Amino acid sequence: MVGTAKQKVPGGKLLTVKLKYDDRIRELQILGDFFVFPEDALPEIERILVGTSIKADADEISTKIRDAAKSKGIELVGITPDSIAQTVKAAVESKTEEGV
Amino acid sequence: MVVWRLIELEGHDAYFNMAADEAIGKEILERRARPTIRFYTWKPCAVSIGHFQSMRDEIDVEKCKELGIDYIRRKTGGGAVYHDEKGELTYSVIAPQELFPKGILESYKAICGWVVDALRALGMDANFAPINDIVVEGKKISGNAQSRSGGILLQHGTILYDLNLEKMFSVLKISKEKIADKMIKDARMRVTCVREHAAIDRGALYRALLDGFTNGKECEAGALSVGELRIIEELERTEYKTDSWNFMR
Repeated sequence: MVGTAKQKVPGGKLLTVKLKYDDRIRELQILGDFFVFPEDALPEIERILVGTSIKADADEISTKIRDAAKSKGIELVGITPDSIAQTVKAAVESKTEEGV
Repeated sequence: MVVWRLIELEGHDAYFNMAADEAIGKEILERRARPTIRFYTWKPCAVSIGHFQSMRDEIDVEKCKELGIDYIRRKTGGGAVYHDEKGELTYSVIAPQELFPKGILESYKAICGWVVDALRALGMDANFAPINDIVVEGKKISGNAQSRSGGILLQHGTILYDLNLEKMFSVLKISKEKIADKMIKDARMRVTCVREHAAIDRGALYRALLDGFTNGKECEAGALSVGELRIIEELERTEYKTDSWNFMR
Protein backbone atom coordinates (compact mmCIF):
# COMPACT_ATOMS: atom_id res chain seq x y z
CA MET A 1 0.00 0.00 0.00
CA VAL A 2 1.06 3.59 -0.51
CA GLY A 3 0.28 6.82 1.28
CA THR A 4 1.02 10.54 1.22
CA ALA A 5 0.45 13.29 3.77
CA LYS A 6 1.35 16.97 3.84
CA GLN A 7 1.40 19.62 6.49
CA LYS A 8 2.56 23.18 6.97
CA VAL A 9 4.61 22.97 10.14
CA PRO A 10 3.45 25.74 12.52
CA GLY A 11 6.10 28.47 12.38
CA GLY A 12 8.03 26.35 9.91
CA LYS A 13 7.96 24.93 6.42
CA LEU A 14 5.96 22.63 4.17
CA LEU A 15 6.47 18.94 4.82
CA THR A 16 5.34 15.98 2.71
CA VAL A 17 5.83 12.30 3.49
CA LYS A 18 5.32 9.65 0.80
CA LEU A 19 5.60 6.01 1.72
CA LYS A 20 5.03 2.41 0.72
CA TYR A 21 4.08 -0.06 3.45
CA ASP A 22 2.59 -3.39 4.46
CA ASP A 23 2.76 -4.13 8.18
CA ARG A 24 5.97 -2.09 8.17
CA ILE A 25 7.18 0.97 6.28
CA ARG A 26 9.07 -0.36 3.25
CA GLU A 27 9.98 2.88 1.42
CA LEU A 28 9.76 6.47 2.56
CA GLN A 29 10.55 9.95 1.26
CA ILE A 30 10.51 13.18 3.26
CA LEU A 31 9.99 16.19 0.98
CA GLY A 32 9.52 19.93 1.32
CA ASP A 33 11.02 23.41 1.47
CA PHE A 34 12.70 22.91 4.85
CA PHE A 35 16.43 22.84 5.64
CA VAL A 36 18.58 19.99 6.94
CA PHE A 37 22.20 20.52 7.96
CA PRO A 38 24.16 18.78 6.59
CA GLU A 39 21.94 18.20 3.54
CA ASP A 40 23.11 14.64 2.89
CA ALA A 41 21.76 13.60 6.31
CA LEU A 42 18.11 13.44 5.22
CA PRO A 43 18.46 10.01 3.53
CA GLU A 44 19.90 8.82 6.86
CA ILE A 45 16.69 9.84 8.65
CA GLU A 46 14.61 8.22 5.91
CA ARG A 47 16.62 5.00 6.28
CA ILE A 48 16.09 4.72 10.03
CA LEU A 49 12.33 4.99 9.52
CA VAL A 50 12.19 2.17 6.97
CA GLY A 51 11.24 -1.02 8.79
CA THR A 52 9.17 0.83 11.41
CA SER A 53 5.92 -0.96 12.27
CA ILE A 54 2.89 0.91 11.00
CA LYS A 55 1.46 0.46 14.50
CA ALA A 56 4.28 2.53 16.03
CA ASP A 57 2.89 5.69 17.58
CA ALA A 58 4.07 9.21 16.75
CA ASP A 59 6.12 9.46 19.97
CA GLU A 60 8.06 6.32 19.09
CA ILE A 61 8.78 7.57 15.55
CA SER A 62 9.72 11.01 16.83
CA THR A 63 12.16 9.50 19.35
CA LYS A 64 13.86 7.51 16.57
CA ILE A 65 14.37 10.70 14.55
CA ARG A 66 15.49 12.74 17.56
CA ASP A 67 18.04 10.09 18.61
CA ALA A 68 19.46 9.84 15.07
CA ALA A 69 19.67 13.62 14.75
CA LYS A 70 21.42 13.92 18.11
CA SER A 71 23.92 11.13 17.53
CA LYS A 72 24.83 12.31 14.03
CA GLY A 73 24.75 16.06 14.70
CA ILE A 74 21.89 16.68 12.26
CA GLU A 75 20.09 20.02 12.53
CA LEU A 76 16.53 20.43 11.22
CA VAL A 77 15.25 23.92 10.40
CA GLY A 78 11.58 24.47 9.57
CA ILE A 79 10.57 20.91 10.54
CA THR A 80 10.88 18.93 13.77
CA PRO A 81 11.08 15.23 14.72
CA ASP A 82 7.49 15.55 16.02
CA SER A 83 6.18 17.06 12.77
CA ILE A 84 7.86 14.36 10.68
CA ALA A 85 6.42 11.66 12.96
CA GLN A 86 2.90 13.13 12.74
CA THR A 87 3.14 13.31 8.96
CA VAL A 88 4.42 9.70 8.73
CA LYS A 89 1.39 8.57 10.76
CA ALA A 90 -0.94 10.66 8.61
CA ALA A 91 0.59 9.15 5.44
CA VAL A 92 0.01 5.62 6.76
CA GLU A 93 -3.59 6.54 7.57
CA SER A 94 -4.18 8.38 4.27
CA LYS A 95 -6.36 6.84 1.67
CA THR A 96 -4.39 8.20 -1.26
CA GLU A 97 -3.19 6.18 -4.21
CA GLU A 98 -0.10 8.34 -4.40
CA GLY A 99 3.09 7.24 -2.67
CA VAL A 100 6.81 6.79 -3.21
CA MET B 1 41.18 41.39 8.52
CA VAL B 2 39.46 39.01 6.10
CA VAL B 3 39.89 40.00 2.47
CA TRP B 4 36.86 39.06 0.40
CA ARG B 5 36.80 38.36 -3.31
CA LEU B 6 34.00 40.20 -5.09
CA ILE B 7 32.78 38.72 -8.37
CA GLU B 8 30.60 41.35 -9.96
CA LEU B 9 27.33 40.76 -11.76
CA GLU B 10 27.44 38.10 -14.50
CA GLY B 11 24.67 36.27 -16.35
CA HIS B 12 24.95 32.48 -16.70
CA ASP B 13 22.65 29.52 -17.12
CA ALA B 14 21.30 27.66 -14.10
CA TYR B 15 23.82 24.82 -14.31
CA PHE B 16 26.83 27.14 -14.37
CA ASN B 17 25.43 29.27 -11.55
CA MET B 18 24.84 26.39 -9.17
CA ALA B 19 28.09 24.66 -10.11
CA ALA B 20 29.99 27.91 -9.58
CA ASP B 21 28.65 28.36 -6.03
CA GLU B 22 29.73 24.80 -5.21
CA ALA B 23 33.11 25.05 -6.96
CA ILE B 24 34.01 28.21 -5.07
CA GLY B 25 33.26 26.41 -1.79
CA LYS B 26 35.56 23.54 -2.77
CA GLU B 27 38.39 25.93 -3.59
CA ILE B 28 37.93 27.87 -0.33
CA LEU B 29 38.09 24.57 1.54
CA GLU B 30 41.41 23.83 -0.18
CA ARG B 31 42.57 27.37 0.70
CA ARG B 32 42.94 28.20 -2.98
CA ALA B 33 40.23 30.88 -2.96
CA ARG B 34 39.24 33.75 -0.71
CA PRO B 35 35.82 34.07 0.93
CA THR B 36 33.65 35.21 -1.95
CA ILE B 37 30.68 37.45 -2.62
CA ARG B 38 29.20 36.87 -6.05
CA PHE B 39 26.29 38.50 -7.94
CA TYR B 40 24.57 36.88 -10.89
CA THR B 41 21.50 36.61 -13.05
CA TRP B 42 19.96 33.53 -14.67
CA LYS B 43 20.30 33.50 -18.44
CA PRO B 44 18.03 31.99 -19.72
CA CYS B 45 15.28 32.26 -17.09
CA ALA B 46 15.19 29.26 -14.78
CA VAL B 47 13.39 27.58 -11.94
CA SER B 48 15.34 26.13 -9.07
CA ILE B 49 13.94 23.78 -6.47
CA GLY B 50 15.18 23.18 -2.95
CA HIS B 51 17.40 20.19 -2.21
CA PHE B 52 14.53 18.24 -0.61
CA GLN B 53 11.73 18.98 -3.05
CA SER B 54 10.37 16.80 -5.83
CA MET B 55 10.97 18.24 -9.30
CA ARG B 56 7.80 16.71 -10.72
CA ASP B 57 5.69 17.84 -7.75
CA GLU B 58 6.92 21.43 -7.88
CA ILE B 59 7.63 22.21 -11.52
CA ASP B 60 5.77 21.86 -14.80
CA VAL B 61 8.79 20.43 -16.59
CA GLU B 62 7.06 20.22 -19.98
CA LYS B 63 6.09 23.90 -19.74
CA CYS B 64 9.70 24.79 -18.90
CA LYS B 65 10.91 22.94 -22.00
CA GLU B 66 8.27 24.69 -24.13
CA LEU B 67 9.30 28.15 -22.82
CA GLY B 68 13.07 27.48 -22.85
CA ILE B 69 13.30 27.79 -19.07
CA ASP B 70 16.07 25.83 -17.31
CA TYR B 71 15.16 23.70 -14.29
CA ILE B 72 17.59 22.63 -11.61
CA ARG B 73 17.84 21.23 -8.09
CA ARG B 74 19.87 23.38 -5.69
CA LYS B 75 22.29 22.08 -3.06
CA THR B 76 20.53 24.32 -0.57
CA GLY B 77 17.15 23.61 0.97
CA GLY B 78 14.19 25.96 0.73
CA GLY B 79 11.49 26.27 -1.86
CA ALA B 80 11.00 26.45 -5.62
CA VAL B 81 11.96 29.80 -7.15
CA TYR B 82 11.33 31.25 -10.59
CA HIS B 83 14.40 33.25 -11.64
CA ASP B 84 13.45 35.79 -14.26
CA GLU B 85 16.44 36.96 -16.29
CA LYS B 86 15.39 40.60 -16.03
CA GLY B 87 13.25 40.49 -12.90
CA GLU B 88 15.70 39.71 -10.12
CA LEU B 89 19.28 39.73 -8.89
CA THR B 90 20.89 36.79 -7.13
CA TYR B 91 23.82 36.87 -4.72
CA SER B 92 25.91 34.17 -3.16
CA VAL B 93 28.18 34.35 -0.14
CA ILE B 94 30.65 31.50 0.23
CA ALA B 95 33.04 31.52 3.17
CA PRO B 96 34.44 29.51 6.06
CA GLN B 97 31.66 28.95 8.59
CA GLU B 98 33.65 30.56 11.38
CA LEU B 99 33.21 33.99 9.78
CA PHE B 100 29.52 33.82 10.73
CA PRO B 101 27.49 33.06 13.85
CA LYS B 102 27.27 29.34 14.64
CA GLY B 103 23.47 29.34 14.86
CA ILE B 104 21.66 28.87 11.56
CA LEU B 105 19.10 31.62 12.16
CA GLU B 106 21.73 34.05 13.43
CA SER B 107 23.86 33.50 10.33
CA TYR B 108 20.81 33.95 8.08
CA LYS B 109 20.12 37.18 9.89
CA ALA B 110 23.73 38.36 9.48
CA ILE B 111 23.85 37.89 5.70
CA CYS B 112 20.22 38.89 5.10
CA GLY B 113 21.15 42.04 7.03
CA TRP B 114 23.33 43.11 4.09
CA VAL B 115 20.30 42.88 1.77
CA VAL B 116 18.16 44.70 4.33
CA ASP B 117 20.77 47.50 4.51
CA ALA B 118 20.70 47.84 0.70
CA LEU B 119 16.92 48.00 0.52
CA ARG B 120 16.73 50.49 3.39
CA ALA B 121 19.32 52.66 1.62
CA LEU B 122 16.85 52.75 -1.28
CA GLY B 123 14.14 53.98 1.08
CA MET B 124 12.31 50.70 1.69
CA ASP B 125 11.13 49.53 5.10
CA ALA B 126 12.87 46.14 4.77
CA ASN B 127 13.14 43.59 7.54
CA PHE B 128 14.50 40.07 8.04
CA ALA B 129 11.62 37.61 8.49
CA PRO B 130 12.86 34.31 9.92
CA ILE B 131 13.51 31.66 8.82
CA ASN B 132 14.94 32.85 5.52
CA ASP B 133 12.93 35.71 4.02
CA ILE B 134 13.21 39.47 3.75
CA VAL B 135 9.98 41.45 3.67
CA VAL B 136 8.98 44.98 2.80
CA GLU B 137 5.75 46.14 4.41
CA GLY B 138 5.01 42.54 5.30
CA LYS B 139 5.41 41.18 1.76
CA LYS B 140 8.28 38.90 0.67
CA ILE B 141 10.86 40.60 -1.54
CA SER B 142 13.79 38.23 -1.08
CA GLY B 143 14.20 34.50 -0.43
CA ASN B 144 17.46 33.05 0.85
CA ALA B 145 18.88 29.57 1.32
CA GLN B 146 21.90 28.31 3.20
CA SER B 147 24.00 25.18 3.12
CA ARG B 148 26.91 24.14 5.30
CA SER B 149 29.33 21.47 4.24
CA GLY B 150 32.85 20.65 5.39
CA GLY B 151 33.07 23.90 7.35
CA ILE B 152 32.08 26.04 4.36
CA LEU B 153 28.94 28.15 4.49
CA LEU B 154 27.09 28.93 1.26
CA GLN B 155 24.15 31.28 1.28
CA HIS B 156 22.47 32.42 -1.87
CA GLY B 157 19.36 34.49 -2.30
CA THR B 158 17.31 36.42 -4.78
CA ILE B 159 16.04 39.98 -4.62
CA LEU B 160 12.94 40.59 -6.71
CA TYR B 161 13.26 43.65 -8.91
CA ASP B 162 10.13 43.13 -10.98
CA LEU B 163 7.30 40.59 -10.92
CA ASN B 164 6.13 38.40 -13.76
CA LEU B 165 3.57 36.39 -11.84
CA GLU B 166 1.90 34.86 -14.87
CA LYS B 167 5.16 33.41 -16.16
CA MET B 168 6.14 32.38 -12.64
CA PHE B 169 2.87 30.55 -12.13
CA SER B 170 3.00 28.92 -15.54
CA VAL B 171 6.02 26.85 -14.46
CA LEU B 172 5.54 26.47 -10.70
CA LYS B 173 3.00 23.77 -9.92
CA ILE B 174 1.32 25.65 -7.11
CA SER B 175 -0.21 27.18 -10.15
CA LYS B 176 -2.50 24.40 -11.24
CA GLU B 177 -5.32 26.56 -9.97
CA LYS B 178 -3.10 29.55 -10.18
CA ILE B 179 -3.89 30.76 -13.62
CA ALA B 180 -7.15 31.85 -12.07
CA ASP B 181 -6.96 35.55 -11.26
CA LYS B 182 -7.69 34.81 -7.64
CA MET B 183 -4.39 33.02 -7.21
CA ILE B 184 -2.42 35.77 -8.88
CA LYS B 185 -4.13 38.37 -6.69
CA ASP B 186 -3.31 36.23 -3.68
CA ALA B 187 0.37 36.15 -4.64
CA ARG B 188 0.33 39.92 -5.06
CA MET B 189 -0.81 40.10 -1.44
CA ARG B 190 2.21 38.09 -0.31
CA VAL B 191 5.01 39.00 -2.72
CA THR B 192 6.42 42.35 -3.72
CA CYS B 193 9.36 43.70 -5.72
CA VAL B 194 11.69 46.67 -5.69
CA ARG B 195 9.86 48.41 -8.53
CA GLU B 196 6.71 48.60 -6.43
CA HIS B 197 8.58 50.67 -3.86
CA ALA B 198 11.29 52.63 -5.67
CA ALA B 199 11.42 54.23 -9.11
CA ILE B 200 14.90 52.96 -9.89
CA ASP B 201 16.45 50.81 -12.59
CA ARG B 202 18.01 47.45 -11.81
CA GLY B 203 21.49 48.98 -11.98
CA ALA B 204 20.65 51.20 -9.02
CA LEU B 205 19.44 48.18 -7.07
CA TYR B 206 22.69 46.38 -7.89
CA ARG B 207 24.80 49.34 -6.73
CA ALA B 208 22.88 49.48 -3.45
CA LEU B 209 23.43 45.73 -2.98
CA LEU B 210 27.14 46.14 -3.69
CA ASP B 211 27.31 48.76 -0.94
CA GLY B 212 25.24 46.67 1.45
CA PHE B 213 27.43 43.59 0.96
CA THR B 214 30.83 45.29 0.97
CA ASN B 215 30.44 48.02 3.62
CA GLY B 216 32.93 47.49 6.42
CA LYS B 217 34.75 44.73 4.56
CA GLU B 218 38.00 44.65 2.68
CA CYS B 219 37.13 43.45 -0.82
CA GLU B 220 39.12 42.80 -3.97
CA ALA B 221 37.46 42.58 -7.35
CA GLY B 222 38.09 39.13 -8.77
CA ALA B 223 37.00 36.48 -11.22
CA LEU B 224 36.57 32.74 -11.20
CA SER B 225 39.95 31.00 -11.38
CA VAL B 226 40.97 28.45 -13.99
CA GLY B 227 40.72 25.78 -11.31
CA GLU B 228 37.18 26.86 -10.40
CA LEU B 229 36.14 26.90 -14.06
CA ARG B 230 37.44 23.34 -14.41
CA ILE B 231 35.42 22.20 -11.36
CA ILE B 232 32.34 24.01 -12.66
CA GLU B 233 32.56 22.18 -15.98
CA GLU B 234 32.87 18.86 -14.17
CA LEU B 235 30.00 19.57 -11.75
CA GLU B 236 27.74 20.66 -14.62
CA ARG B 237 28.46 17.46 -16.52
CA THR B 238 28.41 14.97 -13.66
CA GLU B 239 25.72 16.50 -11.49
CA TYR B 240 23.72 19.62 -12.25
CA LYS B 241 22.77 18.70 -15.82
CA THR B 242 21.88 15.11 -14.95
CA ASP B 243 18.39 13.74 -14.41
CA SER B 244 19.75 11.60 -11.57
CA TRP B 245 20.41 14.82 -9.61
CA ASN B 246 17.53 16.99 -10.78
CA PHE B 247 14.91 14.24 -10.48
CA MET B 248 16.48 12.61 -7.41
CA ARG B 249 13.19 13.21 -5.51
